[in-house]
Amino acid sequence: MAKKENAKKILEINHLSKDFPSKKVCVHAVSDVSFEVNEGETIGIVGESGCGKTTMGRCVVRAIEATAGEVKYYPAEGEPVNFLTIDKAKMKELRKDIQMIFQNPYSSLDPRMTVVDIIKEPLQANFPKMGKAEMEEKVMDMAAKVGLNVSYLKRYPHAFSGGQRQRIGIARALVLKPRVIVCDEAVSALDVSIQAQVINLLKDLQKDMNLTYIFISHDLSVVEHISDKVGVMYLGKMVEYAETEELFSRPRHPYTEALMSAVPVADPEVKMDRIPLAGEIPNPANPPSGCYFHTRCRYCREKCKECAPEYREVEPGHFVACHFAEELELRGFNYDEEAKDGNK
Amino acid sequence: MEEKEKVNAKPEQDLVLDVRDLKINIELDEGTLTAVRGVNFNIRRGETLGLVGESGCGKSLTSKAILGINDKKCKTTGEIIFDTNDKGMVNLLDLKPKGKEIREVRGKQISMVFQEPMVAFSPLYTIGNQINECTRLHITKDKKKSKEISLEMMKKVGIANAEKRYDQYPHEFSGGMLQRALIAMALVCNPKLLIADEPTTALDVTIQAQILELMKELQKDLNMAILFITHDLGTVAAMCDRVAVMYLGKIVEVAPVKDIYANPMHPYTQGLIGSVHKIGTKKEERLFSIEGTVPLALNLPPGCGFYDRCHKRIEGVCNVKEPELVEMSDGHMAACHACAGGCKGCGQNTAEAATAAPEMSAVAEEKGAEING
Repeated sequence: MAKKENAKKILEINHLSKDFPSKKVCVHAVSDVSFEVNEGETIGIVGESGCGKTTMGRCVVRAIEATAGEVKYYPAEGEPVNFLTIDKAKMKELRKDIQMIFQNPYSSLDPRMTVVDIIKEPLQANFPKMGKAEMEEKVMDMAAKVGLNVSYLKRYPHAFSGGQRQRIGIARALVLKPRVIVCDEAVSALDVSIQAQVINLLKDLQKDMNLTYIFISHDLSVVEHISDKVGVMYLGKMVEYAETEELFSRPRHPYTEALMSAVPVADPEVKMDRIPLAGEIPNPANPPSGCYFHTRCRYCREKCKECAPEYREVEPGHFVACHFAEELELRGFNYDEEAKDGNK
Repeated sequence: MEEKEKVNAKPEQDLVLDVRDLKINIELDEGTLTAVRGVNFNIRRGETLGLVGESGCGKSLTSKAILGINDKKCKTTGEIIFDTNDKGMVNLLDLKPKGKEIREVRGKQISMVFQEPMVAFSPLYTIGNQINECTRLHITKDKKKSKEISLEMMKKVGIANAEKRYDQYPHEFSGGMLQRALIAMALVCNPKLLIADEPTTALDVTIQAQILELMKELQKDLNMAILFITHDLGTVAAMCDRVAVMYLGKIVEVAPVKDIYANPMHPYTQGLIGSVHKIGTKKEERLFSIEGTVPLALNLPPGCGFYDRCHKRIEGVCNVKEPELVEMSDGHMAACHACAGGCKGCGQNTAEAATAAPEMSAVAEEKGAEING
């Protein structure tokens, strides 16, 4: 992974929180998540279902309103703004820059709109004065770019396969020429061979259009492949955040270690040596005291039960929320050995 | 085009299931969809056979055919021989689809874990009620006892607070929990054969690993055979003893799990394995991907179904004659002209095949005419 010098910041997420209050309890879906995103980077967000990764993504694009915190956005021109508090007019202008690709290509496309209309809709909403011919041209360009057969565009989504539909979803997100794209489980619903096609497409488009991705997924192999940096979430909190290789080779949080040990490797020679996670994810409405992970952690000590660990930088660029991040010897993936194996 | 050879590792006594030349056709307005085109495989007691393939390759239809729960429109031919508890080897296709005999097998001796737990459960009944249904039908009529058995199973699959959960409805469960409940439902009668249709696809890695371990454990306890259907090659490696790769309604490669990863022969298998990124090997920028999509099995042209997407295709051979499953090495079979006779003899074989091509094309044309007519 080539480190980008003088990387330009594009997003800065500070203490983002989202609560879902109900009559009796309040679910803290996302609590106090902070990270920075540089232009042209891909940030992977992993975690189990219910850990708040989707909610976090939706807060960033402001599909739902966050309870607290800020999403500082650095536009191409002008001063950085807090995306969460800007007024409607400004919002309209900036929303174009941050788009989303959804998980399920079957339910995220309106079955009663033709593909042209689906891809065109964001243009109509954002550029009501744009001429018809110009709009059509943009749609065609984008469709061709994501590898859709242009002659089929008058058809309805049901006529397309899962991979093709996901391409439609990608075209719809890209037609506004955004700078940041939140991909919420963008390839999870696809077959492996199609998954590879879409991942390659996303990578190509990123190079072409200098896109920044926030790639939310529960599939660690995909995240490892596509991301420059990875954040691990647990129960609404970011527990670890580092560059991909650093995180996967030297995890500092016991949860990351356990998560990675559970990844099935497509190689029967590799014995799976899973670190068992005791019990269930605790109820986010009633999280445990101290460190949220202490109920399932195999390194749990007294301190963990009492006070919550600080989310801190243990090494340049490596953030962890664990009291004993410096002491613990955790197991990760061995990069060098694998590389040697590959060269044999 | 028929393959009489069985896709067996070794002929052995303790076969649980033997599927022979299974074909499923679906009549549509547009024509006949040949969803499954002559599938052969068997499973022994205590063994896990992985059935791998992309959506639309017919793997789910195959598994449903075993239980006889396919739609009426599906015309199924062939043999599905199952070792029943009381009557020995029985061809399940001979049984009436709604008869008493198949019901004795279905749910009790063969059970199934479905793909989407959210859809598999009825939203109108409590989880307990639905797990209970199976025990009440097959084990005991005593309500108290059947509840006990169900609860015990729920605990066994790791549902915490089982007593409370027993009276909850599916919408109150998380996806992982529902899948556990589904597994509990499938295993509550100690089946001989478990068909797991993408049981972990919708789950998180940690839960997935737990469920896979759970299934393995229960398999050991019950000496149960598992037909594990998935498109995830990672779980296959962790789970299966043998793997059958399916493409467009046919099995294109069968091998012990180690062989299939170490030495995949069929280009499709190679593509599948290549398109999965392995953590720790961050060298290649792009993933290997199989171009195109699975064609619709409607009025298929003669020749290999993978022809259009194959990077090793030989014109005049592969698009003319359908390759048959051939044993390449011990227990390793593949259906591919390009690698027929083992990869070493590749060149020679293709040359022969090419000279033989003209005759074949005539035959193929006839056949094509038949299909189209």
